[in-house]
Amino acid sequence: MMEIVSRTLLSRVLATALLAGAFFSGHLALAGAASLEAMLDGALIPSAGPVLLGPITSAGRVGWECKPERAAASAHAHDAELPANPSTQ
Amino acid sequence: MRVLLIVALLAQLMATSAPAQTYAPSTPLPRTTSIPALRAFATQREIEERFKLGLDAGARSDWRDAAGEFERIVALNPAEPKGSTAQYDLAIAYANLQRNDEAARALHAALARDPEFLAAMANLISIDIARGDLREARKIADRYVALDPDSARALYSRGIVALQTGDAAAAREDFGKLLHANPSYAIAHYDLALAEERLGRFAAAERELQTALELAPTYARARFALGVVFLREGQQTAARSAFARATLDASGDPALQNIASAMRDSIKTP
Repeated sequence: MMEIVSRTLLSRVLATALLAGAFFSGHLALAGAASLEAMLDGALIPSAGPVLLGPITSAGRVGWECKPERAAASAHAHDAELPANPSTQ
Repeated sequence: MRVLLIVALLAQLMATSAPAQTYAPSTPLPRTTSIPALRAFATQREIEERFKLGLDAGARSDWRDAAGEFERIVALNPAEPKGSTAQYDLAIAYANLQRNDEAARALHAALARDPEFLAAMANLISIDIARGDLREARKIADRYVALDPDSARALYSRGIVALQTGDAAAAREDFGKLLHANPSYAIAHYDLALAEERLGRFAAAERELQTALELAPTYARARFALGVVFLREGQQTAARSAFARATLDASGDPALQNIASAMRDSIKTP
């Protein structure tokens, strides 16, 4: 009788342990996948914002001589003082 | 007699062909004795001088002195375009002193005086991004693009703000337009790829990243992003290879290098 009880108890403990183990490892796997996703998303960061345009003389922004205003209006990335392309080597 | 006549004629010609040159004074002399007019003249002179001093101080990175000069000009409340220009220059000095909230306020004051001041909008967006006010950055960027839809800086700025705020559709549109006029701008191809990736358009993202890497083969961040896109597409071997190459190319960026090598090592290829 005692043997039967202890066997039942043992098998229940074992099943619980296996279930817990399976749950725990599954949880870890899920957590790992989630952290991998988070890591990937965190790594895909947009490029830097543009740096400040330079100062303007007392003549003001209107006129061809005002380089910052020209940069602000230029359709060309190179003239707009945007971040430069990485090295092209 | 004939010789004398010729000499006299020549002398007359020389006298008329080389008149004495006159120079206008660099600043007009006051032609009044009115005290308010003289005071206004002195104020104008002070504004001009302080602009010069402020710009010189900025050129030698003495931003504290530069801020002082432009603050004084602002206090003198000059007419346009000097008023908005002084606020704009003051904002640059404040930004270099890490006083970004005050810089933003100065640029708002510049835009209140001159609502179409594009350089002020451009700098306000950069300052808003730096101080984390992405909501205002987007508002100003929308206004900037509306005023000048072809401006590369307006499109780039709004695209970056849109990516940072999760508006991938707007970012896709802005970087697409920017690339239409600037097809060799690798950075815009990279940012467009991020927008495509976030919209789940992995083939388009891969295409943009391949273009960015054709334009700039050692662009480590684009190489890393390509690895991520390959992973999303289930191409494990290609992803591992991209992360391995990104690890090599990111020698100047230790954070990216670490994550690229971790990704490379986490992918088990047959």
